[in-house]
Amino acid sequence: MESGGTMQADEQSPLLPVEPGYKSVLRLRYAISWGTLALVALIVDRSVLWETPIGGLLPLAVLAIGLLATLVFPARIYRRLRYRLTGRLLQVLRGWLFHTDTVVPLVRVQHLDVVRGPIDKMFGTASLVVHTAGTHNSIVTVPGLAPDRAAEMRDIIREQVRTDFE
Amino acid sequence: MTDGEIAVAGPERLHPLFLLTGIGRGLRGLTGAYALVAYLAVSGKLWLGLTIAAGLLAFSIISVIIYWRRFEFRVGQDDIRIDSGVFSRTHRSIPFDRIQDVDITQGPIARVLGLARVTFETGAGSVQPGKEDGVIHAISVQRAGELRNLVRARRSGAAPAAAAIEASDEAPIYSMTFPRLLLAGTFNFSLALFAGLFGLTQTVGNVAGFDPFERSFWERVLSAGGPAREYVLLHPAAAAVAGALLLVLAGLLTGATRTVTREWGFRLDRTGVGLRRRRGLFTRTDVTLPTKRAQAAILASGPVREGFGFSELKLQNLAGDEDKSGNHVLAPLATGDEANRILSALGWRELPDPVEWKRVSRSFVWSFLLGAAPFLIAGAAAQVVFLPLLGFIWLAVPFALWFARQLEWRRIGYALDGDRLLIRSGWWRRRTTVLPLSKIQSIDLRESFVTRWFGTASLQFGVAGGTALAPHSIPAIPREGARQLRDRLLGSQP
Repeated sequence: MESGGTMQADEQSPLLPVEPGYKSVLRLRYAISWGTLALVALIVDRSVLWETPIGGLLPLAVLAIGLLATLVFPARIYRRLRYRLTGRLLQVLRGWLFHTDTVVPLVRVQHLDVVRGPIDKMFGTASLVVHTAGTHNSIVTVPGLAPDRAAEMRDIIREQVRTDFE
Repeated sequence: MTDGEIAVAGPERLHPLFLLTGIGRGLRGLTGAYALVAYLAVSGKLWLGLTIAAGLLAFSIISVIIYWRRFEFRVGQDDIRIDSGVFSRTHRSIPFDRIQDVDITQGPIARVLGLARVTFETGAGSVQPGKEDGVIHAISVQRAGELRNLVRARRSGAAPAAAAIEASDEAPIYSMTFPRLLLAGTFNFSLALFAGLFGLTQTVGNVAGFDPFERSFWERVLSAGGPAREYVLLHPAAAAVAGALLLVLAGLLTGATRTVTREWGFRLDRTGVGLRRRRGLFTRTDVTLPTKRAQAAILASGPVREGFGFSELKLQNLAGDEDKSGNHVLAPLATGDEANRILSALGWRELPDPVEWKRVSRSFVWSFLLGAAPFLIAGAAAQVVFLPLLGFIWLAVPFALWFARQLEWRRIGYALDGDRLLIRSGWWRRRTTVLPLSKIQSIDLRESFVTRWFGTASLQFGVAGGTALAPHSIPAIPREGARQLRDRLLGSQP
């Protein structure tokens, strides 16, 4: 299940998992966004729905879904997230219900970012963001990398970048 | 024009008449404000509305004057420099070597006044679409032409090309006669006018006190004309037929008007670097499409149009077309031979005839129905609960979906044609896409929890230009086949 299929002569470079810390990053992110949503639901409930028969139900429902998402989703997303960097290609597998397997030829890369947000800093991860010229899927992200690894990958890819819009 | 003259060229301003056209442009941008003013006027605060309107007008005039005062451009030795901005000044330098081409656009007012808008196209549009690279809003047409020739002459190694451009006596690659134009309009049959009217009456009609979608409106209209009412009441069937005819006529007229004004005088020429397209009745545009920037070619058609052997040829480019629709129209209505001729003018091979299309899996139909099943069941349940008398109408929906999907499935195909991929899709909106493999920026292989049961995956291609909403893709290929196809497509990368 975890094999990304045939990638020609690049079979020897394996599909790598990202840092386990990424699970915590996801958990915190989900907790923040669902917590905000629950708060909004609570305010709506108190101001609009309190008198109706379904009063009090909405924030509870949101809280339940949010808890489920925070506890269950991160581990599954983490398990599916794999990447592979070969001499020619960057491959990223992600998604739990909807699998996406993205391949970017390194010569097609336009520019590169290494991004570290505040949550990333807390758990020692970083994201590598690869920009291509494509309109669809122009930004390919590899999240949850160790900062050193992200910088290393950036340097490897940078060697390969060449533009042909001249 | 000698070199010395150019080297010392001083700063130039926009044409003074920009003050006129610029105000028009500024006022057009204030749609939200009009709604506010109209609302105030309707709700009885007429004076407040008028004051705001006057304020907006004054604001537009002043900002246009300031813009004009603070906008300068100069032609340097190696570049064009544009200085703009009121508080934060921007000094932009566009090297001649980076200018892909110069587009000249003339709106109806600008044509009367002899003005033109010049856009310097650079490759940067691909990174931030919609951002103005270098636009000079209003200079005289003559000066615009001079600038274009200057850029072409200055661009290193393009000297012979510049000579070729002016040889416009040469027969065009493609042009449209008036009958062809009308035919194209017929195929662009559109009920957009009615949709617009419907939307308008739904929003404004309440305030204005009429709604043509109410029976009482027509009763009032008809009571004004006695004989017509008698007739309608006596012959309802005839009235329905007349109404339908009217609808068709209006649809035809809308399509024809839109097409004729946009494509009037359509002409495609070959130039040194690519193709040059001129078109437009009121707004005349003159666009050059360098061959190097072409990303994909799309032949768009419909069941009727294709039956007559016609299709529309579009070119996916790094920058979008002037109406921001993404793709540049190369021929609004072309026969297969004409399309092939344009393709070879681009330096592309003609389409093979016939193409050996590879079909996709039937899971295209069944996985879609399975994915839609929860909604269909919910709809059926809702109908049984709320509208039990209407019986089994909802049962027709799955069959309609199945049939539409089946029709589409029969059309979908793909083929590898040497160094390019051909994709065919759609039954109603028929598309044949020619995608050179070297223009593929990335490939997504997608599976969902539904298609996984069928063992199929879809491929989506990241290509520069076009719209992000509808990427080029091939649905429902058996998983292993999809992986092999992806490897083959990427294997032939440079």
